Amino acid sequence: MTRRIPSPRRPRRPLPTGRGPAPVDLMLLDGTTSQALEAGRTRLIAVGLLFCLAFGIIGLRVMDLALLRDGNEPRLAAEAGRKTLVTDRADIVDRNGIVLATSLPTASLYANPRQVRDPEATAAALARVLSDVSPVVLAGKLRSDRSFVWLKRNLSPREHYEVNRLGVPGLDFKREEQRVYPHGALLTHVLGLVDVDNKGIAGLEKRFDAQLRGGTEPLALSVDLRLQHILSEELQGAMTAFEAIGAAGMILDAESGEVLAMSSLPSFDPDQAGRASEEARFNRAALGVYEMGSVFKIFTTALALESGTVTLADGFDASEPIRVARHTIRDFKPKNRWLSVPEIFVYSSNIGTVHMAMETGTEAQQGFLDALGLTTPAAIELPEVGAPMLPSPWREINTMTISFGHGMAVSPVQLTSAVASVVNGGELRPATLLKRPEGAPKGGRRVLSKATSEQMRWLMRQVVLQGTGGKAAAPGYLVGGKTGTADKLRDGRYARGSRIASFVGAFPMHAPRYVIFAMVDEPKGQKKSYGYATGGWVAAPAVGRVVARIGPLVGLKPLPVRTEEEEGEDQDLMVQASAGGFAFAFE
Amino acid sequence: MSRLAAVLWIFSAALIAVVLFALKYEVQRLERELQLVTRQTVVDQQAVHVLKAEWSYLNQPARIADLAERHLRLQPLSTAQIVEIEAVPTRPVPGVKPQPPRKLANAERLP
Repeated sequence: MTRRIPSPRRPRRPLPTGRGPAPVDLMLLDGTTSQALEAGRTRLIAVGLLFCLAFGIIGLRVMDLALLRDGNEPRLAAEAGRKTLVTDRADIVDRNGIVLATSLPTASLYANPRQVRDPEATAAALARVLSDVSPVVLAGKLRSDRSFVWLKRNLSPREHYEVNRLGVPGLDFKREEQRVYPHGALLTHVLGLVDVDNKGIAGLEKRFDAQLRGGTEPLALSVDLRLQHILSEELQGAMTAFEAIGAAGMILDAESGEVLAMSSLPSFDPDQAGRASEEARFNRAALGVYEMGSVFKIFTTALALESGTVTLADGFDASEPIRVARHTIRDFKPKNRWLSVPEIFVYSSNIGTVHMAMETGTEAQQGFLDALGLTTPAAIELPEVGAPMLPSPWREINTMTISFGHGMAVSPVQLTSAVASVVNGGELRPATLLKRPEGAPKGGRRVLSKATSEQMRWLMRQVVLQGTGGKAAAPGYLVGGKTGTADKLRDGRYARGSRIASFVGAFPMHAPRYVIFAMVDEPKGQKKSYGYATGGWVAAPAVGRVVARIGPLVGLKPLPVRTEEEEGEDQDLMVQASAGGFAFAFE
Repeated sequence: MSRLAAVLWIFSAALIAVVLFALKYEVQRLERELQLVTRQTVVDQQAVHVLKAEWSYLNQPARIADLAERHLRLQPLSTAQIVEIEAVPTRPVPGVKPQPPRKLANAERLP
């Protein structure tokens, strides 16, 4: 054992306090010293442990941060990548994803007049590169004593470039967004309009305003742009050919109720909405309600067949006009004989149809039209929807006139949906402008039995084969339908010569996929139509042309077109189709 | 021994410091790059957005129809041009009486 000499400065151990200078041995230390030493050692260990623990925790934490925990790195990384384009308003696209409405950035030109050195020269230079501005007005604005003045909103890219090229100090641009409709007047009534602040004020832009503002996902419509174009073009053709004041049309998917095209003419370019006339702004397809005329016979006949009041083999005497109160119900082209139910339908006999409606009764008619949705406004997603005009009270005379489409006005949307339900097997699905997701439940409400729907399809096919709708035929596509001609009400009286000519049809008639409606407002008789301006002469050919054009487009396989020598078989087919003991009477 | 340990420790500390700073500058550089790329992406998306609108505008059905009429020697497909494969007669073989094409049910007569 070495003797430890305690340092005078820092005694490491307690000084011996005992007797004599005997060498100090730990073992020999007395109790107090040993106790103090023990306490010191314990404290040392405790502090050491504490430090170890602290460093350990720090070490673990460092490891945790550096190796185990990924902190907020992924979030930062994701955030960096998520800086995508944000527009004020989401796009609207058609069912194939073609852009129908979008928001494009535009530059708006403003000036700080205090920084403009030569207002006159600047105004003159600007007037040369900007359209629709006068140098005098510009100079006035630039001379003002303000620090901000708009010179022109929403410049075209060319104007933007030209102004930049001038390099005049004191001018600057503000980035704004402008709603753009690449297809102009083609879909104005469906899409609607926005105001200067990009707020929807009409059409789908108004109906889905909140959704379009909030989201970036484009709104997919059920409309097919190609079909829309074809329908509009053919309607425009019919309108021009018959010097009409307007036209409306619809193409509906017979199964799902999706609107594939909806047209109202005349239309207007949404970029020049301010200059559009009231007439052009009016949506005839959804907002307008019209007395549809003979196309209503579809519903009268369907109800009579469905209720079992008549069968295809029955008939009525249509030789005498019906006189009720002050009214006389006549046929447009009287046959003056007994007519079978198919003949009544095919030749569009008012007298026969009224007899049929009287057999079924007022209550049944009202109930059926209710079920078809003809007595309530259409549930389509447009703010501009017309309410039908109904007789009140619904008397017997109303039942009579409604049976052939007078005394009750409905919108084309309502009519087309109702006809779709008659031909598609008897299930009504409300017309919709939104694309139905793949595999979504169909829904629908049964309004007619499958058997009656089948009979109605056959009847409507006969109208085109040998009745008033012959001009709607499109070879290979089995078009069926019904014509309608209704005199328009003028000051409470029916005005001859101003009428609504319409045709509602479907194809292919053995399994309808599309329902097409065309309506021409106030057509005038032409030389080539021998003075006629009826549904069969005006609207039916338009529908026929639409079918012939869209059939190949939508990839519908046409039935082989029959050649002359095969004509003979036609009669057999007819008898087969009308099996059930009934033979169709031919002229 | 302990001196060697100390030198090692000092050396490793210095190394870590250098690596740390290098890493930091690298991250800064990458962040700047990311920012540039992101900005460029938004610019490109903006351009694509505008081009999509222009594409839709140029694809107006009426315009396409007009262009097709002027520049292509094509016409719309008519149903008379579509036949079923069974309706096509077989190639005549000498000595064999040609079979008439199959009769088609459900055919529609010409208007």
